[in-house]
Amino acid sequence: MGLRIHRGRIAQYQHDQLLRDYLKQHLHELIQQRELIVDGRVKTQITTLDLPTLRYGEETAVLAQGGGMAGAGQGATGARGGEEEVQALGGLLGGDHHGRELRVELEFDEFVRLAQEVLLEEIRLPPLRTAGRGGEVESDDLPELDDLDRIGLRPDLNLEETMLHALLRNVRERGVADYDVDVRQDGWYFVEDPTTYRNHRSLEVYVLDISGSMRGEYLALVRKTIFVLWYYLERRYPTNLRRYVVFQDVAAEKTRDEFFCVESSGGTHISSGFEKAMELLEGATEYDKFLFLFTDGETSSGDFDLAKRRYEEALQRFDLIAYGHVNPGSRGVGGFSEYVQERVRRVPNATFANLVDVATIRAAMTDFLTFLARERSGGIAGRLRSHH
Amino acid sequence: MGSLDAYAPIIERIEALARARGLSFEPVYFRVTDSDEMAEVASMGLPNRFIHWYWGGAYKELLAQQNREVFSILELVLNTRPSHAFLRASNTYLQNVLVIAHVFGHVDFFANNHWYRKSNKNMLNEAELHARLIRHYAARFGRERVEQLLDALLTVATTVNAFERNPEARRRRLIYFLEERAPLEDFERHLLQVVREEAEYFDVIQRTHISNEGWATFVEAELLRELLDPREWVTICVQLSSRPAPYTIGYSLYKAIKDARGFAATLEVRAYYEDVMLIQEALDEAMIRRLDIFVYDPRERKKSYEVQRVRDMLIEQKQFKGQPHVEVELGGDHRDLTLVHRDEERKLEPKRIALFLKAVHSLWRNPVRLRANGKVYTYDRRGFSST
Repeated sequence: MGLRIHRGRIAQYQHDQLLRDYLKQHLHELIQQRELIVDGRVKTQITTLDLPTLRYGEETAVLAQGGGMAGAGQGATGARGGEEEVQALGGLLGGDHHGRELRVELEFDEFVRLAQEVLLEEIRLPPLRTAGRGGEVESDDLPELDDLDRIGLRPDLNLEETMLHALLRNVRERGVADYDVDVRQDGWYFVEDPTTYRNHRSLEVYVLDISGSMRGEYLALVRKTIFVLWYYLERRYPTNLRRYVVFQDVAAEKTRDEFFCVESSGGTHISSGFEKAMELLEGATEYDKFLFLFTDGETSSGDFDLAKRRYEEALQRFDLIAYGHVNPGSRGVGGFSEYVQERVRRVPNATFANLVDVATIRAAMTDFLTFLARERSGGIAGRLRSHH
Repeated sequence: MGSLDAYAPIIERIEALARARGLSFEPVYFRVTDSDEMAEVASMGLPNRFIHWYWGGAYKELLAQQNREVFSILELVLNTRPSHAFLRASNTYLQNVLVIAHVFGHVDFFANNHWYRKSNKNMLNEAELHARLIRHYAARFGRERVEQLLDALLTVATTVNAFERNPEARRRRLIYFLEERAPLEDFERHLLQVVREEAEYFDVIQRTHISNEGWATFVEAELLRELLDPREWVTICVQLSSRPAPYTIGYSLYKAIKDARGFAATLEVRAYYEDVMLIQEALDEAMIRRLDIFVYDPRERKKSYEVQRVRDMLIEQKQFKGQPHVEVELGGDHRDLTLVHRDEERKLEPKRIALFLKAVHSLWRNPVRLRANGKVYTYDRRGFSST
């Protein structure tokens, strides 16, 4: 056997490089897609990663075959014709792949990684540092986060929590109050010294106001902020649990994919967002608990007092509440957002960000990283935890 | 089944059966390989072709389809002398028996079809030389420059027609016009010729895709009917009916010819016909209905099974590879290049026009125009515009 040159992989690498460059250039428009995740992937209408050959417009008659026959040949693209599947017979009819339409599509996680790369550069936030050539660690003006309290291969499962979730899951899905946890597999018993062991999981609750105008630029700012947050959180916590809530008049928990595909409608009851977020704390006593709330407007007038109460309650129960006022028009901040701003000056576990543009994401991150740095040094979060 | 030795007896047997039925071919070298290499060769067209990002996208897509078990390439055979055929190691023994019989159909077609007489049987070696030449030019003239040139050349390469012998008709095809008239540097013209030669090699395959795949599938069925027991034969019948459209259309056409005029007539058709002739002669209404092929209008959501319409569209698809019929307008002033879309009723996708004209302009280097969609689109040194 001679040495094999994997030309396909080299070509794929070149393709991926172009794809990355392309996505970076078009990140802003892609991130605004209302349905960002479809089937776990970020799909785009972009076909320009193809060679720019001429094509007919979409509404042109095509040669096709019924779904019952030969199925998808190479180069076939699907189209819906009435109730029946119609396979267009265009594109490839020979050995060369010329004329195939390559749609730009990628895994959501890959999309997030690319977005983080672009955003860190755009916002001029530091990537987490690696040791320099001389062994020194580079310094910058943001809090240090590189020596995270990672614990290598040590398991960080929490038995009680695992069992509680197993119970809830079994009740919900199988209708039986039963644990299906094999305790012999649980890392809890293999931690040499459970009393000094710190659980480094985080619970992150993302709460999004989907009332009114949460689309376009507004969505872009929220998503960009979340992706940058993830960059830092993923490096701090070996594992994390993310839960997603959307609210307008009422709040509802969503899956990740639903959270990135929601349609905006209805009024604003911020209190409902806080309430749902607090519900999700059930059984999560060992976590570092974060609440990230994004809203683009004011809570309804009748909700103001209740929202204040719920905010105060949530401050007692979360290690941090980061409140993002999504404000691409750079209008003045008033009402509930003003109240939150005021509280941030007095309580240590609250931050407020007026998200006007990507530059303001930097300010928000600086606040957040400062909080994390203080928390790591045994400050804020430890004190708060002792309260509850 | 991973070893070629396991297949030696069956290869010998199928080859003898093929020769006994009047098939003839160049020597065939079989090789057992993995899905990854199959996808690599399928996406690049040839195993040692120059590396280009475009094949990378196709390769990635093929691998993804294989992983999701949506689509797998079972066989690959190269139109070279000798022929090279790839058997996928992860195929079952029976699948590879099918592949072997199918391959003998292809190599017979390569050796006997009139339109393959002028195809370049040395393309395996030439593609290697082309790849080296491109690497040499990239080192000498700059990688970025060579890559941009290749992008533009591959964009216009779809306008080749390996069958066209009329000089004027050839000149109306963009790539030949550019080869003759574009103000290119020597190395650029050389690369244009490299890309054009490879495109012509694949063009022959594309223009005979239905007749070639149909023939290979037909031969496969004919040979294996004699070789397999009834249970294995049933498995194959299921596989035959679930193949991509060109296979089933071509197979049905040969089967109809055999039923009407006998096996000897099929040998004659495979020797002289390419897809357009085969479609014109053998595709009738009953077959169109049975294969469920139609012209689909997405605006009206209507299907048309009208024989002439289906035939015309299938033929047009063969002639222009499913792409719009755009020609060079000859006889204009020598500085500007004017292209005309000959099927004005059908609209071109406007977004791609600017990118296409930009690519053509990078080769022509003077104003380029395209008449289409009731407008005149122009790309010149000031950029893109339309009137």
